[in-house]
Amino acid sequence: MKRTRRVLFALIVGLTIQVAHSQNYYIYVTAESEDEVALVKFDGKKAETIKRIPVGVWPAENEGPHGITVSPDKKHWYLSMAHGNPYGTLYKFETGTDKVVGSTQLGLFPASMQISETTGLLYCVNFNLHGDMVPSTVSVVDVDEMVELDQITTGAMPHGSRLTSDGLKHYSVAMMSGELFEIDALQLKVSKKFNLDEAGMEKMEKMEGMEKMEEMDHSKMDHSKMDHSKMDGMKGMKHSKFKPTWVSPHPTKDLVYVAGNGSAQVYEVDTKNWKVTRKFETDKGPYNIDITPDGKKMVVSYKTAAKTGIWDLETGKELARLDNSQKVTHGVAISEDNRYAFVSVEGIGDDPGMMDVIDLEELKLVDTALLGKQAGGIAFWKQEKE
Amino acid sequence: MTRLSFVFVALLITVPMSLLAQKEIVLETTDLTLDVGESRQLSAYVTENGEKIESPVVFRSRHRKVLFVDSLGVAHAFKPGKVSIIAFTRGARKNFEMIVDFPPLAEIRIDAIPDKVYAGTPVQLKYQVIDQAGLVREGAKVKMTSSNEKVATVDAFGNIRSLKPGNVKITSTIENIENTISLNVVKNPIVSVELEAEGYEARTGDVFHFKATALDTKGNVIDDAPIRYSFEGVADDVSTTASGLIKQDGRFVADKAGVYTVTASTGTATAYKTLRINERDVARKIELVGQGTVNDKFTSDLWVWEGQDGRDYAVTGTWSADGTAYFWDVTEPSNIIKIDSIQVDARTVNDVKVSEDGKVTVISREGASNRKNGLVILDTSNPRDVKIHATYDKNLTGGVHNVFIDKGYVYALSAGRKYYIINIKDPKNPFAVSKFELDTPGHSIHDVWVADGIAYSSNWADGVQLVDVGNGIAGGSPENPVQFASYAYPSGDNHAACPFRSPSTGKFYVIAGDEKFPYAMNGNYLAGGYLHMIDFSDLNNPEEVARFEIPFAGSHNFWVDEESETLYATFYNGGVRVIDISGELMGDLLAQGREITWYLPGDPEGFVPNMPQTWGAQLHKGHLFYADMHSGLWVSKVEPVKPKNAKIETK
Repeated sequence: MKRTRRVLFALIVGLTIQVAHSQNYYIYVTAESEDEVALVKFDGKKAETIKRIPVGVWPAENEGPHGITVSPDKKHWYLSMAHGNPYGTLYKFETGTDKVVGSTQLGLFPASMQISETTGLLYCVNFNLHGDMVPSTVSVVDVDEMVELDQITTGAMPHGSRLTSDGLKHYSVAMMSGELFEIDALQLKVSKKFNLDEAGMEKMEKMEGMEKMEEMDHSKMDHSKMDHSKMDGMKGMKHSKFKPTWVSPHPTKDLVYVAGNGSAQVYEVDTKNWKVTRKFETDKGPYNIDITPDGKKMVVSYKTAAKTGIWDLETGKELARLDNSQKVTHGVAISEDNRYAFVSVEGIGDDPGMMDVIDLEELKLVDTALLGKQAGGIAFWKQEKE
Repeated sequence: MTRLSFVFVALLITVPMSLLAQKEIVLETTDLTLDVGESRQLSAYVTENGEKIESPVVFRSRHRKVLFVDSLGVAHAFKPGKVSIIAFTRGARKNFEMIVDFPPLAEIRIDAIPDKVYAGTPVQLKYQVIDQAGLVREGAKVKMTSSNEKVATVDAFGNIRSLKPGNVKITSTIENIENTISLNVVKNPIVSVELEAEGYEARTGDVFHFKATALDTKGNVIDDAPIRYSFEGVADDVSTTASGLIKQDGRFVADKAGVYTVTASTGTATAYKTLRINERDVARKIELVGQGTVNDKFTSDLWVWEGQDGRDYAVTGTWSADGTAYFWDVTEPSNIIKIDSIQVDARTVNDVKVSEDGKVTVISREGASNRKNGLVILDTSNPRDVKIHATYDKNLTGGVHNVFIDKGYVYALSAGRKYYIINIKDPKNPFAVSKFELDTPGHSIHDVWVADGIAYSSNWADGVQLVDVGNGIAGGSPENPVQFASYAYPSGDNHAACPFRSPSTGKFYVIAGDEKFPYAMNGNYLAGGYLHMIDFSDLNNPEEVARFEIPFAGSHNFWVDEESETLYATFYNGGVRVIDISGELMGDLLAQGREITWYLPGDPEGFVPNMPQTWGAQLHKGHLFYADMHSGLWVSKVEPVKPKNAKIETK
């Protein structure tokens, strides 16, 4: 009897492993300097680019595919093309055939985006990376008709953005003005603006620095003789020290996680009380963030360090800090089963872009797929049994 | 209860009611038609399973330029038309249509009504239908009638056919709007027309200036006689058709060799002049001289110059690659030698320009890994050992697409929106002195070229902008750029511009090139667009006078040799084209046979084999240098002009 049980147990375990390994995962990744999107298949062991989809309409101009997202029903994927004359464009593709089925003009350098399951609308930040340091916008798009319905003004250089899992709140961060914006996805209005630089200072030992400044004897200084010429370009501008580049909401809690690219930190912000509740000290240049669907782990790309950090959100500990396959780590997407993180890596010059697959249980890099130059935006499409 | 029933009930309990509930948006606003300028509060409520519930409804317009719905749900009508509105709440959406009515018509406006009409002479009344909002109603069909058809008749286009002297009222009617004007048809004193033009014989593309003079019986000139010019012709080649262009100011140009007759008429008086038009006969051979192959990456722009040592050099950029620029010794064009290269953090070095003395080269950067881009200033005193003077990215982080160097200043595009003028007199310490940016909505820029203290920028829909940066025409300088003239054309495709001061005519042209890929959505690489010849001789009234277009190829960059009045233009898949731009320009330059020669630089060993994608051209010491995206640097020699009817001397 015991032997039979053992055999049965082994069979079940074997089957479970078999099932786990027979999943195929599909991910779309942009190659910004190649004007191309790659469809990558990962079978649990091997990651492979199975399709390279040329995008854009200017063969001799780089249009810069930047942000990418898959619709909640998985029937379409959307791509923001950064460069235009001067405005960028949102393209709608059919998944599977990868054919363009619609497009609409957005703002300056449209970047990250997502579709709300509740409103059915797409929210895309207009990064305006190359413009003046002025407040930019979030475009709201009716994806049925591919019409931009509104532009909601936020901060300077809004980059990372994500919706809450119920699709009712949209969060974005303005990189240069150092602000976190909450938009009511139904009312299409900014419902909260949160200064991340100030919020960060609240828990920092700011008195120490302040005291030192107060100790200075300004009466002995002749400010008129100081060289202010280098400050001309700074008039009216704010350059955030925290330099937030991404925000991801927790799937079940009123928390959002904000990458501070300039301070090597991730803030956990309580969106009920609007307080920074935890700070995660990261490697250099935290850039993008994704949270596992079960809310247990946070994966952060460290752009400058060319690494990826995996954090336990319960304990606040960094479980692993893994080297990426090459320099300039960019985006993160996580599989629906919480098992794998897919990380895009830009490279430099004509380095091929890459997509690293990280096993979030084994905490190791499993495989790498080769892509076009400057791999950036990344979106998980689907997982299915073989 | 059976086990199955239990499971069913349990499922019902556990499935959130929200998933089973049916929400619906019920529109309360009943009148969905607005007039232009009118506003209306939209109102709706939400039902769930038929019961009214509290749930805010948000409205947005899908055609905001026609009707805008603000955040409070108030619809504001701007222009007539049908507009799709989306209303949404949590868990429900509704689409409905609103109509902005065309405002009632207010006026039929007729301009330039003549004081008198000479019986039998042509007059066309030009009209516009204006509505009460002051908007022109396009396509409105006006009915026109004459009060006395024995004096004059009128057709639907406003053409008056005057028959005999007398007063006549012409009434224009649309809906309930009417406008009646009086015309005084007087006896026609004109008995003859004299028609003058320089000569009877010319080549295709040569522009005639006809002058018609109406005379009465005593030979007096009737200054206000309306003259209508027309032409007909027979081509020498029976397989083609005589064609050309005539303007109502008397300018005429023929496209094909043949016999043409130009007619000037006013009433029953006409005059004509017949012309013999010969082939332009400018075709010359082009010979490939050499090639500096780049077959591992795309090539971008080029610049050729004479170095400090008296030898000739070229620099080429690379596109969507690894940030490399190549330097070549081209002293012997048949033996081009790659002598150095420099690699910077970029994917694209889109543009390369060299200072007048050859000592400084500026290359543009796009796709830098730190996204700071900007430009790199190089020491090319010795092109065999190129060094970096400095990098500069302040305000240029968006990527520099094009640059130009003029008298110690770099004109560098920033993010496709504006250009900065940067002092590089000390190339190790560059600093910006000014910038030029339009303030039009959605303005954009692609290129800038500087000559004689004038910066010619190409601004897509805003067309060509002429800016004084030291010429003095408008008091400008590099530190204080002053815009003084512009010309935009409807397609909005302006990508490059270059001046051409025509020695043979004294005219001041600006050649404006398009860039477009009209077939790209179908996956086709063929370019489109052409070169627009704009006569800027009257700066306040620039006139687009001619075009050069290659079917199924598209213009890119070009070079003008003013001395020989020759244009060297690259047309992507159409290769490099050499065009005769001598004399006055008017009409279709290709049809006129002004193309001297062309070359398609396909290379079987190219990065993309056998497929020309030609980027830019430059004439240097009689050789035509051109860069091709798929194969690198090329040099050709265009056969010199041979004197016509030259006697061949024999011993």
